[in-house]
Amino acid sequence: MKNIAVKTFKLCAGYEREDVLRAVSFELYAGEVLGVVGPNGSGKSTLLRALTGLLPLRSGEVQMQGRDLPSLSAKERARLCAVQPQIEMPLFDYSVRDFVLLGRHPHRALLGAAHSADHEATERALRRAGVSEMSERSIRALSTGEWQRALLARALAQETPLLFLDEPAAHLDPGHRYAIHLLLRQLAHEENRAVLCISHDLNLAAEFCDRLMLLRTGSVLALGTPEEVLQEKILQELFGCAALRVAINPHTGRPGTVFAS
Amino acid sequence: MNTLARLILLGVLTLALLIIAVCVGPTSLLNFSSLGHLLREGASTPELQRASLVLWELRLPRVLLAAGVGANLALGGLLLQAIFRNPLAEPYLLGLSSGGALAAVLALAAGMTSVTWPALGGSLAVALLVLLLCRHRVASDLPSLLLAGVALGALAQAFTTAIILRFNPEALRGILFWLMGSFANQGWSAVALVLPTAVVGFIFTLFLHRPLDLLAIGGESAHHLGVSIRAVQIMGIALAAVLAAVTVAVCGTIGFVGLMAPHLARRLVGAPHAVSVPASLLLGVMLTVGSDLVARTLLVGTELPVGVVTGALGCMFFLALLRQKR
Repeated sequence: MKNIAVKTFKLCAGYEREDVLRAVSFELYAGEVLGVVGPNGSGKSTLLRALTGLLPLRSGEVQMQGRDLPSLSAKERARLCAVQPQIEMPLFDYSVRDFVLLGRHPHRALLGAAHSADHEATERALRRAGVSEMSERSIRALSTGEWQRALLARALAQETPLLFLDEPAAHLDPGHRYAIHLLLRQLAHEENRAVLCISHDLNLAAEFCDRLMLLRTGSVLALGTPEEVLQEKILQELFGCAALRVAINPHTGRPGTVFAS
Repeated sequence: MNTLARLILLGVLTLALLIIAVCVGPTSLLNFSSLGHLLREGASTPELQRASLVLWELRLPRVLLAAGVGANLALGGLLLQAIFRNPLAEPYLLGLSSGGALAAVLALAAGMTSVTWPALGGSLAVALLVLLLCRHRVASDLPSLLLAGVALGALAQAFTTAIILRFNPEALRGILFWLMGSFANQGWSAVALVLPTAVVGFIFTLFLHRPLDLLAIGGESAHHLGVSIRAVQIMGIALAAVLAAVTVAVCGTIGFVGLMAPHLARRLVGAPHAVSVPASLLLGVMLTVGSDLVARTLLVGTELPVGVVTGALGCMFFLALLRQKR
């Protein structure tokens, strides 16, 4: 029996007058990696903002671990759900370790030194995101890819049952991209966390996610296993690209996309 | 040297500077044996009576006032730099000083002798007006708050200039001195206004230290880590406004301290606000007390507005640091 970590029902949200998300309903289970894919402007990042309370809901419901999102206090929400945001430019020189330690904020009192549990979680997160060896460097001296891994480390330091990521591999080299996706799978399968990962890379998403959710102009076009979701006809039309083909990775047997010309 | 050691060193230096500032002046209190005598047995001779008067009625309130003002400006600058995510933010950002100056000039034109309360009211009124005008935008659109502050400040400044031009030369000199910032002619009542706000401001800012870290790093991140962004922004801006308004009320506009102290603090002890809050406060105290010491001892028989000293020394110091950085 799978535990529901996040459940949305006819979720509508948007900016100004326009609805960007239109009646989005889905469930995210503990122990799975759910990939959210779709063209630019299909509402992937808006979905993340609505799920985390950054963007107020116009209508519909979001439940996190069985509790209504608006009923959660800011700190309660941050203890349930960690987010790796898209790249934000840091203003001041924090060391990578100090920065990752900030991920412990929802677990700490307003005043007082960090406990040993906070330091342990920080070291663990640094190690898992592969930024241990740069922990004394300034976050402003990192390359974009290193900074993106530091952002992941901060989210990991929160040690939450839910983890949302907005294109976590956008700026990474192939080796790190692979390592990060293995880590996501490990977090879900071995530690029973619920992982929601926005991705632009259909191949990576299909390779490492248990299920994919395909968004089109703010609504769910398809939701299921990669094999079910990656249909050549649908993808060609959705991305406006007739050259798109679905091909099977001979090494893993997973579907992916290639260009025919 | 680790961070804590640096903080302690900074504290010791600040204390030393405070003691020197109290002792140095036209009437030197540097003769420690007579000072000890004075503190132990009270003013027994006419000379000691004079020293006692200088100590209790002139030096001590003036140095404490400068210290409180420096603390207020440094904390205000630190708060606003983190909240606006802008390294150029400073305590007068919301048009505060211009509003205070306008009210002060109006009060003088109306024949009032003390400008403390009008200036406090004027500064707070402008800050409140800016916040009200932009109340729906606080969390979403901070730059518009800045622009509204600049615009209202410019408006108040235009009126101030128009009124000042009608003053006679003697009154003009007085108001210019005030506008440039000065600790002259203030006593214990000003200290009683500034020191408590500095203490309260310090405690509040310390409680906000991690939310400030998170806001400085990025608004969305702060939200994801459980900070109520809007609440912290409104609290921080209101606190910074009160801190700055109080300083404008007692000593006019003292430029650059609020901008400089937080930057120096971050260079010395690092960016995390748990340490940069106390370090900023200490550096703000040192900069202001030191500048006032220079302002009243550099020229014999007269004194400079302290704002001139903080501006001149501060800029040079700051430019040197910037050159050294890369």
